[in-house]
Amino acid sequence: MAAPPPPRDPLFEVEHLSLAYAGSRGQPPTPILKDVSVGVERGGALVLVGPSGSGKSTLLRCLNRLAEPTSGRVRFDGRDVRSLDPRELRRRAALVMQTPVLFEGSVRDNLRVRPAGTPGDFSDASLAAAVVEVGLDAGLLDRDAATLSGGEKQRVTIARALLRDPQALLLDEPTSALDPPNAALVVETVSRLRELRRLTIVAVTHQTDLVRRLGGGLLYLVRGEVVTYERADGAVTDARLLAFLAGEHASPATGRP
Amino acid sequence: MSAAGSVLDLSLPQLALALLLVGVVIMISVRQELGIGRDLVVGSLRAIVQLYLVGLILAVVFHAARWYWVLLILAVMTAVAAQAATSRLAKPIPGARGIAALALTVSTAVTLAYVIGVIVQVRPWYDPQYIIPIAGMILGSAMTSAALAGDRLQGDLRVRADEVEARLALGFSGREAVQPMARAALRAAMIPTVNGMMTVGLVQLPGMMTGQILAGSSPLLAIKYQLVVVFMQAAATALASLLFVRLAAGRYLTPAHQLCRHLL
Repeated sequence: MAAPPPPRDPLFEVEHLSLAYAGSRGQPPTPILKDVSVGVERGGALVLVGPSGSGKSTLLRCLNRLAEPTSGRVRFDGRDVRSLDPRELRRRAALVMQTPVLFEGSVRDNLRVRPAGTPGDFSDASLAAAVVEVGLDAGLLDRDAATLSGGEKQRVTIARALLRDPQALLLDEPTSALDPPNAALVVETVSRLRELRRLTIVAVTHQTDLVRRLGGGLLYLVRGEVVTYERADGAVTDARLLAFLAGEHASPATGRP
Repeated sequence: MSAAGSVLDLSLPQLALALLLVGVVIMISVRQELGIGRDLVVGSLRAIVQLYLVGLILAVVFHAARWYWVLLILAVMTAVAAQAATSRLAKPIPGARGIAALALTVSTAVTLAYVIGVIVQVRPWYDPQYIIPIAGMILGSAMTSAALAGDRLQGDLRVRADEVEARLALGFSGREAVQPMARAALRAAMIPTVNGMMTVGLVQLPGMMTGQILAGSSPLLAIKYQLVVVFMQAAATALASLLFVRLAAGRYLTPAHQLCRHLL
């Protein structure tokens, strides 16, 4: 299969990663990922595509160690993630989830949610700057988080990640729970941030718009296995990948089926 | 054995009359097509056999009054309670029975030691007349609260898994990330006890007080014991559910602060 070439200055290196969950009561283990290898350049982007159940989200969660591979290795910034404090790793590689999770309280409360001892600037000025950076009005800070629209919520979770000054953003279908105009705003925000902050981005997405805007690598997974890897900024050549993207393009608003 | 001079004995024919009450329930079940007729028959038979056996065993243990027999009975009661506390979970919590056994043993032992040794001051401590019914009441509350806590914890973790992962992704530890669900489970487990304390004696006379009064005690002595029972049950409830929630939540977390979603 088209194995991705190793990047020159990788932030993430995934080497022969496999993950299976132990079967319950005599059932065979359920394989989720099978021998996946891929790298992500520092400041670059990687987009994970594939049908639902192909292991994209699990692969993404292996990068910040929310999921534990059965075999293989993930390196972050040259170091095996198992040698890092997972809480520190997750601050440096921030996850944005499909359904934005905001806690009870105002937007300000939500931006400030953090474990004791988290480094970073959480002053009012800094919070306001983060909100503006994701394209929202600073006046939103005092709003009850529950009253925000889906697109606003998603951008607040991105702002929350930015306040930790991460090196990478991990996006798990960040737009699939949103309507097209809001999805476009999130795509816009993410691509702008990437250029502005030199963020490394790994995204699971069905949104062809986001794929195109991010550029970088395009990894096509089916049933936990890498089918093909291409550069998304060039012309996509693999027929299966083209067909998959075309199918998704025909119904851009569909989320996880 | 306790002096129970004023208690009317029940003859077997009188007991058989009590079975007619179950007959009413079965009739309703059949008429209303509830489909629980068979369960009712089995349940009634089990009640008869179980209670008769327990009565026989207790009679022997009361007569022998040896500490090791008492401990054996308590161990069997705890094992059955641990099994019952975890048998109705929607999806098994890994190692739930062991966790329940530990939580019930510790909470019951602590509460029981205080009630028997410090409050009532039973001598010898293993006098079956006191320790067995008191342990039974403590275990009963501990069991119910552990079951409620487990059910709520599991349901909440499943429904709110994204919230847990969001907290983990923000750098919280596993323990911190499940704290809101653990708190909700503890509250759910303790609310029936707190409500029970509010209405005790007003809505119904508690079983133990009823029993004491039937056995000839003065109501004023019966309420003193009942108060001890209410407070000890509250303590056992809190201890058992706290231990169970702590240990059970840990089963869904790894040392690397991960949530085991596939177990939920």
